[in-house]
Amino acid sequence: MSGPDGGAAGGGPGEAGNGVPIVEIEDLKTYFPIRTGILRRLAGYVRAVDGVSFEIRRGEVFGLVGESGCGKTTLGRTLLRLQRPTGGVARLEGRNVLEFRGRDLRKMRRRMQIIFQDPVGSLNPRMPVSDIIGEGLLAQADVENRWGERKVRDKRVGDYLEEVGLRRDYARRYPHEFSGGQRQRIGIARALALDPEFIFADEPVSALDVSIQSQILNLLLDLRDRHDLTYLFVAHNLSVIQYISDRVGVMYLGKLVELSPVAELYANPRHPYTIALLSAVPDPDPRVRKKRIVLTGDVPSPAAPPPGCRFHTRCWLREQLGDPEECATIDPPFREIGGGHRVACHFAERIREEVSTAAVIGVEEPPGVPGGADPISQAS
Amino acid sequence: MVLLSVADLEVRFHTADATVHAVNGVSFELEEGETLGLVGESGCGKSVTSLAIMRLLPQPAGRITGGTVTFRDAILTELPEDEMRDLRGKEIAMVFQDPMTSLNPVLTVGEQLTETLMAHRQMTRQQARARAVALLEMVGIPRPATRLGAYPHQFSGGMRQRVMIAMALALEPKVLIADEPTTALDVTIQAQILDLVRNLTADFGTAVILITHDLGVVAGMTGRVNVMYAGFVVETGTTAELFAHPRHPYTVGLLRSIPRLDDTRHEDLVPIEGQPPDMTVAPRGCPFAPRCAWREERCVAENPALEPVVPGTPIVTTGPGATHRAACWYPATDEEARHGAPLRAAGGAA
Repeated sequence: MSGPDGGAAGGGPGEAGNGVPIVEIEDLKTYFPIRTGILRRLAGYVRAVDGVSFEIRRGEVFGLVGESGCGKTTLGRTLLRLQRPTGGVARLEGRNVLEFRGRDLRKMRRRMQIIFQDPVGSLNPRMPVSDIIGEGLLAQADVENRWGERKVRDKRVGDYLEEVGLRRDYARRYPHEFSGGQRQRIGIARALALDPEFIFADEPVSALDVSIQSQILNLLLDLRDRHDLTYLFVAHNLSVIQYISDRVGVMYLGKLVELSPVAELYANPRHPYTIALLSAVPDPDPRVRKKRIVLTGDVPSPAAPPPGCRFHTRCWLREQLGDPEECATIDPPFREIGGGHRVACHFAERIREEVSTAAVIGVEEPPGVPGGADPISQAS
Repeated sequence: MVLLSVADLEVRFHTADATVHAVNGVSFELEEGETLGLVGESGCGKSVTSLAIMRLLPQPAGRITGGTVTFRDAILTELPEDEMRDLRGKEIAMVFQDPMTSLNPVLTVGEQLTETLMAHRQMTRQQARARAVALLEMVGIPRPATRLGAYPHQFSGGMRQRVMIAMALALEPKVLIADEPTTALDVTIQAQILDLVRNLTADFGTAVILITHDLGVVAGMTGRVNVMYAGFVVETGTTAELFAHPRHPYTVGLLRSIPRLDDTRHEDLVPIEGQPPDMTVAPRGCPFAPRCAWREERCVAENPALEPVVPGTPIVTTGPGATHRAACWYPATDEEARHGAPLRAAGGAA
């Protein structure tokens, strides 16, 4: 069993580490304008990221999970300056990266790299692997690293291909000659070759076959230990997030709703949305019949998020509590409830332990009551 | 009663450069009211198998080069195209993975639903419309009468998938083939759709072939599973038996290589090493041998047949008493399956 601060597989040395933040995000906002009509009149904003604050510690894997459209990818892209921020602060070792320009910005790009989701779309089909990986090196070349010299660059490309488990001579080949898993390794080598400290991994395994997924996950964990990396790991697959992360943040409609060390989050989730998400994951054991909390309806539009708590329109807990008014009027603060566990819910304490545990581990449903979710019994 | 029977099905794709050996002698049967899972990774032939059953293989490259598919007493592989067209949708219907591309974007959902009903059921426009409203209501679409006039892009992903299911069920088919019906959806929406499919099969006795790579979905939805690799069924049995006692090293690998929510031990995942097979090479020996930790010399030379894991057991092909069978010379023991690797000395005899 892992401790309360339980780390990822094998408990690598980077485990939630020394607690020193490498990245600090404060009230980060990224809005996309909606324009309508022939005059392209501004009709409002899609609030993809809407006031998110958290920190990522050096050496940890910070998992960010949520459904499509919740803003998790936009958050990562904003942090890497691939997307223009609307407001807030994002510090890399104390300096606000959102204000970097010119030389500073270029230097920052070397320290913060990205691994993309789509291993096909993110590699230029007309470039050999040597140029795909070499392009970033060339852009960051200086007198010190001498990456401007073809020979130095090619050697480094070969080294990093080997580092990710590929052969040196693959450098001459083109992307179409590789399988999905190999392409993702090339994407990882490209990010790694610049010797970054921080990598934003955007759904790096969701496009891969299951047997290949675990190869890539283990590779990422190995590399973290060997190169002292810190990851922001975005995924929608809760089991993958659990496997790889030290701490996890759960996003819903542009906001963080829960943040906690991984073991604590999965053993003792405290936000009704997290509990619903966990309960919806199908268990690969036919004997387990989970008591599923089925959320009704679809996610509201991030252009017009509901007032109060953003989740209140679909919240099963609110329903159980007899629709308390504050859910629909007051945006719940993102508050600490102990042990580094933060949650944005007015009634997090009202969720009974066995409910949250049942959602994760799975409980036998009493026969004859199919799907009847009664997640909390009558309020005592 | 056996509804659908696939015997020694073989499918090839002929392209300018190569021949793809997509399906290499697949046999299975499907009984009324049964849910069968087809599991495997991309390229293992699970989707091609279902397209071959529907006779919807991409033309002209895809060909059924051997075997038969029988639905009740009709041999589908020999049926003239116009009779096949009658049968499609009415007897065997299909839900595709991607609801965005399988719906026609320039027709309203109502037009697409009523078109099917009018073509197959000789209904008048009014009757078809009434039935379409009932169908949308059944799959849980709010305000169905109004939504009939909406275009596919006005629906969310989950709603579109519901529309696809409504269309597939419009003619009350006996067999429903669902090809990764929830892969494009978020978990909470996936749970809604799977509940829907489960209820519908319970209500109408429809037999379902569920194609997926998600073992969690298989465990929760199916009674029986075929595990496919490189165009072969490598293991088959009831879902409970197969998950509890996997025998084929590939099945073992699949089960050991996925992270699980209830796994608080944080054991390392045991990946299946190597790459998926090159399907343009004609299979020789066991297709999994190059990636198999249990491999012996014999595996490279001879391809094992799908045999009962307890030798001599009479073979039952369908239902809750289906025989557990695996295509492997040196199947894993329970202990090895838990461990995820062979326990005997490397290179030694089994």
